[in-house]
Amino acid sequence: MIRFSPAEIFREEGRQFGVTAHGVCLLIYMILKIAFRNIFRQKRRTILTALAMIVGFTLLSVTIGLSDGAYGDIISMFTRNRMGHIQVHRVGYLDKPSLYDTIDGYTAVGAVIQDVAGVEAWTPRVYAAGLGSVGEKSTAVQIIGVDVVRETQATRFDKKIVEGTVLAETPSHEAVIGKNLAKTLSAKIDSEIVIFSQGADGSLANDVYKIVGIAESGDDATDRTACYLHIKDAQELFVLEGRAHEIVVIVSNINQVGKITNAIEANLNDSTLDVAPWQAVAKSFYRAMKADQQGDAISRWVIMLIVAIGVLNTVLMSVLERTREYGVLKAVGTKPMQIFWLVICEVVIITLGSICVGVIFGTLANYLLSIYGITYPQEISFGGMKIKTLYAEVNIRCLIIPAITVMASATVVSLFPAIKAARILPARAMRTH
Amino acid sequence: MEQTQKTDVIVTEDVTKVYAANGIPVNALNGIDLTIESGEFTALVGPSGSGKTTFLNIISGLDSPTEGKVWLAGKALSEMSGNELSDFRRDNIGFIFQAYNLIPVLTVEENVEYIMLLAGVPKAERHERVLTMLETVGLKGVANRTPTQLSGGQQQRVAIARAMVSEPTIILADEPTANLDSKTGADLLEMMRHLNSETGMTFIFSTHDPMVMERARRLITLRDGRIDPDETR
Repeated sequence: MIRFSPAEIFREEGRQFGVTAHGVCLLIYMILKIAFRNIFRQKRRTILTALAMIVGFTLLSVTIGLSDGAYGDIISMFTRNRMGHIQVHRVGYLDKPSLYDTIDGYTAVGAVIQDVAGVEAWTPRVYAAGLGSVGEKSTAVQIIGVDVVRETQATRFDKKIVEGTVLAETPSHEAVIGKNLAKTLSAKIDSEIVIFSQGADGSLANDVYKIVGIAESGDDATDRTACYLHIKDAQELFVLEGRAHEIVVIVSNINQVGKITNAIEANLNDSTLDVAPWQAVAKSFYRAMKADQQGDAISRWVIMLIVAIGVLNTVLMSVLERTREYGVLKAVGTKPMQIFWLVICEVVIITLGSICVGVIFGTLANYLLSIYGITYPQEISFGGMKIKTLYAEVNIRCLIIPAITVMASATVVSLFPAIKAARILPARAMRTH
Repeated sequence: MEQTQKTDVIVTEDVTKVYAANGIPVNALNGIDLTIESGEFTALVGPSGSGKTTFLNIISGLDSPTEGKVWLAGKALSEMSGNELSDFRRDNIGFIFQAYNLIPVLTVEENVEYIMLLAGVPKAERHERVLTMLETVGLKGVANRTPTQLSGGQQQRVAIARAMVSEPTIILADEPTANLDSKTGADLLEMMRHLNSETGMTFIFSTHDPMVMERARRLITLRDGRIDPDETR
């Protein structure tokens, strides 16, 4: 068969260029050009699609911001105000606390801890159980011996005093008791509390302390039993000279807890001591928090579903309306895969634009919520922590997760319209109006 | 025209197409055997519903026959995959539609160069070919306009330029003058006949426009899905 030479040349060149990088670039250029113009051609539909994505992005961002903010606050209260970020005990103490399992020479241990990079403060504690009596009322109490200066630095002990004053810096036979314990014992400032217990040497431990302050830790259970003494007074009472049950460590960056825990462990190099991050110390609290966070994921899925349905609706409508155009494109030689990518490109371009706008709105909303917060009519409680106002946190998660979610859901739901467009039969498509 | 030997551009063998209309089978084409040679300027005529558009769709690979075979430029269309058919149409067939069917988001120049972009032709060559083609169809000054800014006649000229710019083996035109006034239609037909003479490209029209029939060198009449005896001039 004889071909006309110009056409033959064109065809051969076309095939040749079609498989080169240049040919691929031309196709990408062409698909992007048509996709961009289609987006601006259907302004109203584009705006509707983009709005669904922007609202979805912002809602997701705020949900994550508030969730992270709330958990951040709870963790901060739980760790910073009470248990610290890292704790050091004698091995086995955490599983079965005992008066006899102590850290000997805790001052030297503390000095080693202080030298670890990232450690902000440390404070020793002595724990013992006993019976507390004020007047004729008695109840079980937990005696907590604290180094007032270090405890104030580490866990803001002074801020917990709601009535009276903090303990004196030197041992003065003073006590600070929990708010609920004060109620139980009908104790007031300047009341005397008598503590009965047993010393580490087996002797009967009892002494009288003057109540100088009433504390509120934010945890009801602690406030029902806590009786704070100066650590020296507690050591004297329980015959624990130079010994402590616990060293609480505060780090400057909570996200570095794991790394600092390992560093402390390495520097102490003492097999009798157990160094544990807060997640290991408060396992049940940590598990409850994680479970609660997973519950939040459900609300994220719901938002994602709403966005996906909105996008599917508009993209499908757009494809159905342009059936004839896709038929023409196929008739003149556009391959099904090129039409598929054309639809996907349109959605991806709108999604990228929407994400950019969503980043602005999401960041702004989270920033405002991090300042003003959302105040509940009543306090809510989580793990013994009470929260009245929920503050958002502005972090990269608030942008990355919504961006991935919106992009993934938009792309996934546009697969169906894209496949539909790619599989259009040109002859039938061109009969539609 | 440098053509030295006529070749069979389209060969159909017992092509039958049956549609299901509301569940009732309707025979649009009944065993069509036809051969069209290179360089022909042929009109496919017949009343509405006679199967003209169906036949054009089948010989271009836009639709498939229920029975029978079609060879275009020596290739059996039924043996090609979807992608092969796309490439084959791009390289061998130029389409002119009754409703012009230009891509609305592209300018005149971009519409004409679209097929060359698909084929990966370099920019300089694309540009040169587009300008030459637009000049040929008398649209040199409107290259940057979009289809909506053109009259029907101008849009059909763009469609002709798009169909011819890649110098395909065959141009298929489905009722190309149906939406045009008689003068514009006549001008376009003259232009296509001139291009047919100049380039040797094969033109096949489906039409019931007497003006097209007058200018065609061969008339193929379709009636109830069958071909009446040919009339060659």
